[in-house]
Amino acid sequence: MTATDVRPHPGQQRAEGTARRSFAYGNEVTLLGILAVAWVALSLAYPTFHEVGNIQNVLSSIAMVAIVGVGMTMVILTGGIDVSVGSGLAVCAVIVAKYVLSGGSVVVAVALGVLVGALLGAVNGAIVAFGRVAPIITTFATLNLFRFVSLQIFENQQVNGIPPTLSWFGPTGRTLGVPNAFLVAVLLTVVAWWYLKSYSTGRHLFAIGSNRDTALFAGVRVARREFAVYVVTGVLVGLASTVAVGSGGVVQPNIGTGFELQVIAAVVIGGTSILGGRGSALCTLLGALLVGTLRSALVTMGAPGLLTDFFLGVFILAAVAVDLVRQKRRSHR
Amino acid sequence: MSSDTTTQGGSGGSAVTAGPAANEPLLRMTGIEKRYAGVRALRGVDFEVLSGEVHGLIGENGAGKSTLIKILSGVEQADGGEIEYDGKKVHFGNTAAALASGIGTVFQEPQVFPDLTVAENVFVGRELRTGDRRVDWAEQEKHCVELLRSLHLDPGLAHRTMGDLSVATWQLVSIAKALAADCRILILDEPSAILTSRETETLFEVVRRLTAQGVGVIYISHRLDELFLITDRVTVIRDGENVATRPIGELTPHRVAELMVGRELTGAEHLDPRPLGDVVLHARGLTREGAFADVDLDVRAGEIVGLYGLIGSGADDVALAVYGIEPADAGELAVKGRKVRIGSPVTADRLGIALLPADRKRQGIFASHPIDFNVSAGNLERLTAGRLFVNRRRERDRVTELSTRLNVKTPSIKQRIGALSGGNQQKVVLARQLLQRPDVLVLEEPSQGVDVGAKEEIHRIIGELAEGGAAVLVVSSDLPEVLKVCDRITVLREGRVVRSFDRGASDTDVLAAAAGRLHSTTPDDDARTDGPTQPKGANG
Repeated sequence: MTATDVRPHPGQQRAEGTARRSFAYGNEVTLLGILAVAWVALSLAYPTFHEVGNIQNVLSSIAMVAIVGVGMTMVILTGGIDVSVGSGLAVCAVIVAKYVLSGGSVVVAVALGVLVGALLGAVNGAIVAFGRVAPIITTFATLNLFRFVSLQIFENQQVNGIPPTLSWFGPTGRTLGVPNAFLVAVLLTVVAWWYLKSYSTGRHLFAIGSNRDTALFAGVRVARREFAVYVVTGVLVGLASTVAVGSGGVVQPNIGTGFELQVIAAVVIGGTSILGGRGSALCTLLGALLVGTLRSALVTMGAPGLLTDFFLGVFILAAVAVDLVRQKRRSHR
Repeated sequence: MSSDTTTQGGSGGSAVTAGPAANEPLLRMTGIEKRYAGVRALRGVDFEVLSGEVHGLIGENGAGKSTLIKILSGVEQADGGEIEYDGKKVHFGNTAAALASGIGTVFQEPQVFPDLTVAENVFVGRELRTGDRRVDWAEQEKHCVELLRSLHLDPGLAHRTMGDLSVATWQLVSIAKALAADCRILILDEPSAILTSRETETLFEVVRRLTAQGVGVIYISHRLDELFLITDRVTVIRDGENVATRPIGELTPHRVAELMVGRELTGAEHLDPRPLGDVVLHARGLTREGAFADVDLDVRAGEIVGLYGLIGSGADDVALAVYGIEPADAGELAVKGRKVRIGSPVTADRLGIALLPADRKRQGIFASHPIDFNVSAGNLERLTAGRLFVNRRRERDRVTELSTRLNVKTPSIKQRIGALSGGNQQKVVLARQLLQRPDVLVLEEPSQGVDVGAKEEIHRIIGELAEGGAAVLVVSSDLPEVLKVCDRITVLREGRVVRSFDRGASDTDVLAAAAGRLHSTTPDDDARTDGPTQPKGANG
């Protein structure tokens, strides 16, 4: 060992060949474990908790967060952030709602939402990637701009009497009992996971978040990738807006307020490093599930709604602490 | 890859005359010009690399050699001149283009992705892919393992996350990355700065193997002895011009140093003695658990006292205690005859003690801020009008005065400090300490990472400061520096004072005292290399 080793690490030899594989899914396994324990414990304590209806509710309630979370994971992987998704959702939702109200078809409604979302994402992406403005500043500005745009289209009143054109995406749209919106989220997550793992452009997102300058020197098309992740997030916001409109009835002008925080919370609780470079789309889905479970549990217990915020805060701090400990261990190498 | 070629061309070190591929000019840069903000960094530099040669490129910090390398590797574009590579005129718009045509660069500070595996780091930007464009993990790992083997590294590293490995390993992985690109010109920018002597040997071995294959290697180093070991020819850059390109055999280390500085080095053995005043800094039985114990010190006004020890000796901890960063937990300290307790840098500051920190990049500079900001930081209360507003004019005057006095080479005090050379950065940090006109000046590694000329200058400045009545404590692991600058040398070993020397002590005596009897023959280079094995885990 000593003849070839630069600096011996404990366990290095043992780790050979298996290190990446066995370690790579540590977060997923941990989150799944926490979820399983939570569900078993809650089901034992509250028999209503594992009723099909409740599970369906949890799944459909987190679908929007999980869908946008896929894009947000990619954005955060590159070291960026997008706090404009809530306002973007409002823009897409009001346009889709008005279109549906005017008697439009499902396919065009979805396409419209996605297109508008992509456009909004392109605005963010262009400013961040080509204008080199800090993502938090850029999207904080567009958060306000998009909100203004949505209110203009709302004409300061809610959209009433929306027909159930998009009900396939809504809470009642199910396949084999599973909410369709949740299935869409799962599908997107799996695609993203596959892309991030297997394609060089996906791997480059990790590289950019890990060390932007080095990525540039290594010949990674940094600006193009950064632009792309914001556009993808925009597309997913557009898709999520069809879920929001899917329940039909009313769309309020304040739709999407605080949505960005829920999405970022899911990503961070899922263990994606807010500093970029490390994370997983799968974990974000699990993070969203964890948040949904928490909400539902507190409702079932009849706990005051404020407690949700408390636990959400605790979860986020815990996730960040785990990340910090990991970083620390690394710097003490 | 290409392991079959390792056996040919046995005398790699002198490949210029050996292999059949040699003497063929692989690269020719002519009349390269580069300006930064109106300053001519390169003034028509000619530079040539033959295939199979190791071409040393040296010059003081700021001379322009890094700029030349940046242009060659595509990081920057030249404002004028031509690059002829492999018989064709070329222009590299970015690093990827340079790498694609076979010019690989290993930068001084390893450029890595701490969150990715070693294998991924090696292939980022040029991933190996399967037919359907997916990343071919198996193939990448296989190639990575081969590369690691050729660098005498543990093949198991391929799967490890880069961030968990040492900086030295990062450097070697960066070399693997360049090799993976099958480069024909390999640029090594101060590769040995963070390598141990054994790792450096491995590096030399790799370099010789590559030159035997006809690769041209550009080797940048401050360590003159290395140049004489590995290079065939040397080009000296000074003030943006190529002042000499010579076969290494025609040069001596002293001659190279003179070419770099552009004048004859005085090589003063020792600073002139000065009249000494009263004891300014007085310590008895100074102790910090786990770092040092029972340290006695006396530094007089006008005196320069050296604190010397190998890594882990606790000498640096004593400096931190005097400045209150890691306060001593026992013993007594007195400044100008008054007993004091120094619990924080603020107290030290108020008592007239200043510290030049050891790690310039982390502890010394605000890299993205201009010189004036860097000098006045921590001194603003001395530059206020009515203790409320910063007097910008006074700030400007004082900073200008100090930077002139310390001979900081810069177009303006508004210059970003990160853009200056190491020596000039160090002078700016020193200027910050001097702004408060300290009675006690603690200098940690005052000339670390600065070039020959700046080092001489810093030594002169230290002498002048003592002349001006300051009590100077120099903590340095650079033995020649300590011997040259200090009036007295106190040697620490394992946290205790083992011996004191007066002027004119021999280096072997001081080293023997520092290393202990067992290791009295160990060259100090070796001692510097085993950083992680600190005896008592003092630096927690």
